[in-house]
Amino acid sequence: MRRPAAATAVVIAGAFVLAGCGSDGKAELSVESPYIPQPVSDTMAAGFLTVVNKGGAKDELTSVTSAVAGSVTLHETVGSSMEEVTSLAVPAHGQLVFKSGGNHLMFEKLKRKPVQGETVDVELHFAESGPLKVEIPVESAVYSPKTGH
Amino acid sequence: MRKKTFAAAALLAAATLTLSACGSGDSADTSVAAVSEENGKQQAATVLDQPFTKPDLVLTDTQGTSYDLRKETEGHPTLIYFGYTNCPDVCPLTMSNIAVAKKQLSKADQDELRVVFVTTDPDRDTPAALGKWLKGIDPQVVGLTGKFATIQAAARTVGISVEPPHKDKNGKMVSTHGTQVIAFSPKTDGGYLLYGEDATVDDYTKDLPKIMKGQNP
Repeated sequence: MRRPAAATAVVIAGAFVLAGCGSDGKAELSVESPYIPQPVSDTMAAGFLTVVNKGGAKDELTSVTSAVAGSVTLHETVGSSMEEVTSLAVPAHGQLVFKSGGNHLMFEKLKRKPVQGETVDVELHFAESGPLKVEIPVESAVYSPKTGH
Repeated sequence: MRKKTFAAAALLAAATLTLSACGSGDSADTSVAAVSEENGKQQAATVLDQPFTKPDLVLTDTQGTSYDLRKETEGHPTLIYFGYTNCPDVCPLTMSNIAVAKKQLSKADQDELRVVFVTTDPDRDTPAALGKWLKGIDPQVVGLTGKFATIQAAARTVGISVEPPHKDKNGKMVSTHGTQVIAFSPKTDGGYLLYGEDATVDDYTKDLPKIMKGQNP
């Protein structure tokens, strides 16, 4: 008699947590596989990462800040030129992907050149959700996330 | 007792439904993308049935002296890429991939190979600016600058389309880079292989020894 009651309580608690996941319409953001290839230039670098949204509402990445750069801007690649944009959408149950040849973060007016093995602290700001702090590792100039080296 | 078990079962079922609804959305996109990337990864190079003629191009190198592309690279395996130094992503990645792969060749082959970087942003990429940037990648790379119209016309003859640098609505300079690296054979001086911007350092490392001999990878 005791055991089934306890089991029921656990299942109910589980159900409440789960319900919070999809149905109350909030973005739930996290960052995956961030990296900065060690730049050639000592004034500019690119950064890549994926913003994952497990929530049921969309959000927008509106700005990125970092102590190492005078400015960090969002770029999307259109054909073979890049265009600065003021925000990028993070769809509900979806992701915003920055990858080489596509969207990238552009670090300009670098205060120092990021070197392989270091990490660079950045903060991502969103239209709805609170800011996310990310420690981005600096990888080799030829790093590819597909091969991992 | 019986009632409670039923309730638990119902809740469990509801929880399972919620879970699957929550999890399915974000995985759908990525699995499709991963599959197509896998398929395209077999062979990095595109072998051209009709090789390109090497552009008849005379520009200025990083020393400020005149460089005749056909004359200087004749009979040498040659890689040509059109890009610019104020490019944070694809241009340094492409050039670094080639530079790292090149270092796996013998010293003699490294000296034999010609890697030529032609700027698509000649106003900002002066010989000095190009030289400084290329020194950070590989000092053996030849950096060329000159009149944009000359560069654009030469790029067009090898299937590369570049637009003149212009200011965007925020007043920032926007330049374009080529999307492909062209490999020229030392035997025919024809541009017979194309590499897209997703070619990795491993792809170049694997293919360069073949390019040294003008063979297909």
